[in-house]
Amino acid sequence: MLGRFSDRVDEIHHLNGNEVHVLLKRKEDIPDLCLYARDELKSKLSTMFCSDDRGPCGAFTLRYVFARAGGQDFFIVLTARIRADQGLPGFPLDRSLSFPSIAFQFPSAALYEREIRDMFGLFPDGSPDKRPLVLHERWPEGIYPLRKEFDVTTKVDRTGGREYKFTKVEGEGVCEIPVGPVHAGIIEPGHFRFSVLGESIINLETRLFYVHRGVEKLGEKMNLDQVLLLSERIAGDEAVANSTAYCQALERAAGVTAPERALQTRVVCAEMERIYNHLGTLAGMSTDVGFAYGSARLNILKERMMQLNEQVTGSRLLFGTNRVGGVGVELDADKVRKVRSTLKRSLHDFELVISMLRNNSSVMDRLLNTGTIARRVAVELGLTGVAARCAGVDEDTRRDHPYAAYSSLRPDKHHDSPMHLTEHEVEMQMRRGDALARFEVRVEEVVDSAAMIDQAIENMPQSGDLVVSDLRERLEPHSHALGYAESHRGQTLHWVTIGDHPDSLSRYKVRTASFVNWPAIEQAVIKDIVPDFPLINKSLDLSYAGNDL
Amino acid sequence: MTWRGIDAESVRLVLGALQVVLIIALAPLLTGIMRKVKARTQKRVGASVTQPYYDLSKLLKKDEVISDQASWVFSSAPWVIFAATVTASLFVPAFVPFSPFSVAGDILVVIGLLALARFFTMLAGLDVASAFGGLGSSREMMISSLAEPALFLTIFVVSLTLGGTNLTSLVGAAAQLGTVIAPSMLFGLLAFFVVILAETGRLPFDNPATHLELTMVHEAMLLEYSGRGLAFIEWSQSVKQMIMLSLLVNLFIPVGMPLNSDAGIALPLALGAVAFVAKIMTLSAIVAYVETRVAKWRLFRLPDLLAMAIASAMVGVILHYL
Repeated sequence: MLGRFSDRVDEIHHLNGNEVHVLLKRKEDIPDLCLYARDELKSKLSTMFCSDDRGPCGAFTLRYVFARAGGQDFFIVLTARIRADQGLPGFPLDRSLSFPSIAFQFPSAALYEREIRDMFGLFPDGSPDKRPLVLHERWPEGIYPLRKEFDVTTKVDRTGGREYKFTKVEGEGVCEIPVGPVHAGIIEPGHFRFSVLGESIINLETRLFYVHRGVEKLGEKMNLDQVLLLSERIAGDEAVANSTAYCQALERAAGVTAPERALQTRVVCAEMERIYNHLGTLAGMSTDVGFAYGSARLNILKERMMQLNEQVTGSRLLFGTNRVGGVGVELDADKVRKVRSTLKRSLHDFELVISMLRNNSSVMDRLLNTGTIARRVAVELGLTGVAARCAGVDEDTRRDHPYAAYSSLRPDKHHDSPMHLTEHEVEMQMRRGDALARFEVRVEEVVDSAAMIDQAIENMPQSGDLVVSDLRERLEPHSHALGYAESHRGQTLHWVTIGDHPDSLSRYKVRTASFVNWPAIEQAVIKDIVPDFPLINKSLDLSYAGNDL
Repeated sequence: MTWRGIDAESVRLVLGALQVVLIIALAPLLTGIMRKVKARTQKRVGASVTQPYYDLSKLLKKDEVISDQASWVFSSAPWVIFAATVTASLFVPAFVPFSPFSVAGDILVVIGLLALARFFTMLAGLDVASAFGGLGSSREMMISSLAEPALFLTIFVVSLTLGGTNLTSLVGAAAQLGTVIAPSMLFGLLAFFVVILAETGRLPFDNPATHLELTMVHEAMLLEYSGRGLAFIEWSQSVKQMIMLSLLVNLFIPVGMPLNSDAGIALPLALGAVAFVAKIMTLSAIVAYVETRVAKWRLFRLPDLLAMAIASAMVGVILHYL
């Protein structure tokens, strides 16, 4: 790479085990290098984000994170600097602060670019969509919350508001149905604008970020332990995944590894989280097809798992599992016994319920061919987790970028022998990306997770430390690292840059699976009918809070 | 034919009037029972069977919120719906084998009145111009345009087999037949059961328990209603359900129904009423159980089910002539 781009690349260095940082000389080279990373290095754009480094180096830093999978576990981080000569105070509305858009080549980048525009005031040149994303109509122009001069306690006056233009579909008989942001039932806010022809959906636009809380900004004002609590609360049902990703980022930045016992405990808790959430989603799918009996049975199982969570960690949502540098939960013999017996009992009941659902033709008919995600869409939008796997895109952070104790667990047992590998590939090719495929993927993952918990308990050392003690001393100011974990929704990425003081962050970037997967729903509903939308939505299991940050 | 010196005609009238009051008063109880059965078969405890009464009294006490986009159609619809449904109940024999106004109305009037109620429900759904109301009305129209032919064919079967369209004489004829069931009636029963599921908005047609506006049919039309208006519509819905179930029980399963000639004699009438209550409770439990066992069908697959009902009723008609 150096040879080919030596005139365009300043330096390349290797950090934190598996991060390759490539510093570009000029921002104009971003598209070329990104295309090279995707097409030649066969990697996938995982996220892109900006940070305000005008303090230390007089520029905004843009980072494009490409993940390389397929047996090679590394991340390519393309870094470009956007020089900013303005002083800190005030909010200069300067159109010259721009960077080249890659949204036409990378559809998944469109949302990141809009986010960066809103939060930093850097303008993507040639972007197809210039509407704001995070900040809604009544937020004043020219105030960019993630810039350093914006104080977290600032109260911003509301303005009269600009109009947000939805895509308009015109034609005879085309109707618009606005749904939300306030919905019936206890769910989070989000606006859906359907264009329908009778019952058939011809276009859907989602509008989110109604529960934007400024998580990333808050993280910059907290100490490391407080950010841990914050990360657990990004989305309550992803507490373990998000806090694991955060803790791992810090541990990687410090160059330490959590003790073996902590790593195994993280696996146990992460898989417990996956099980109870998948059970909840399967129950929700059953509710949304109007089959209350199935959902009642599955909800009983979910409740059993949540009670187990409480017995093991003291929290039904597994809060408090992680500590910076380790875990805060000790799995003693008594807890291990409880986990094993509950899992065994629940798994038995789970198989009964699932076989009942599979034998109910009215349920299966609703799932089959509903909400299909084409494989090409899954690849182009860079979907992750169940949304990608249901369409036959075989990716799983636990296998592709092993963290915690997953390297010893083989989350993917299909890769044992060439025959299994072929079988697995055939199965992946056959996945249709519909709600039924997502149903089956979830069922399979529940069973796999239970097996993994068993394995992790087996591998767990009986005694030993739970937390590394010297993590904080090893943290260098301004060092940075990427943390990642596979939640039940998919890959969650946390980026931390340590601030001037080693117990603070100057940038905390979170990219959850929901952020990546939300655009999928706009594609999945096309050609389906309006009454199937709730089912499609539930089968994708997207989080509003996890998206809106 | 006299009873403590009062002539039979007066007894008939009093009993008939009592029957109407009972249909209207007990209809919410039937809804409560169905909900309870549903809850129990779904591993839930469920609310008490009297919950619909609490709901109604709560709604009657509450203020109404009416959209400023609404016209007179919206505010008058609950009254029209309630009046039409209650009027329909005047012609339906339920606990006793006759209705007080059998001279004035027959089964076609009952169907017509229920159609009027539905027509106004659909108008009200469209009137406020909310997206969900329009969706609900269009779906209801689709379903009812298919359910009505099935219903009328079923009525053909019943009329051909039992003779006439007057409900009192139909029920009397059915009671005369007793346990002997004509094969044509069996097919009519099948069709009528499907029609009841469609007409009363039950699964697999419509999910009365859902909170998802996008999937609703009946509820979507009522989303804008609150307070007293909602109370009247919900009550009418219960009465309609009671009427449909009574028709099924009395026309197709006449076991235990006293003969018309017994009218005025206390014991057969009492036994008949008890039998009716037992039958209608069993039937509602069956409907509730069906709801537990099936998922809601895809919207565009519902015509298949209704086509099956039409075909079944058609077979009934053919069998009658064979």
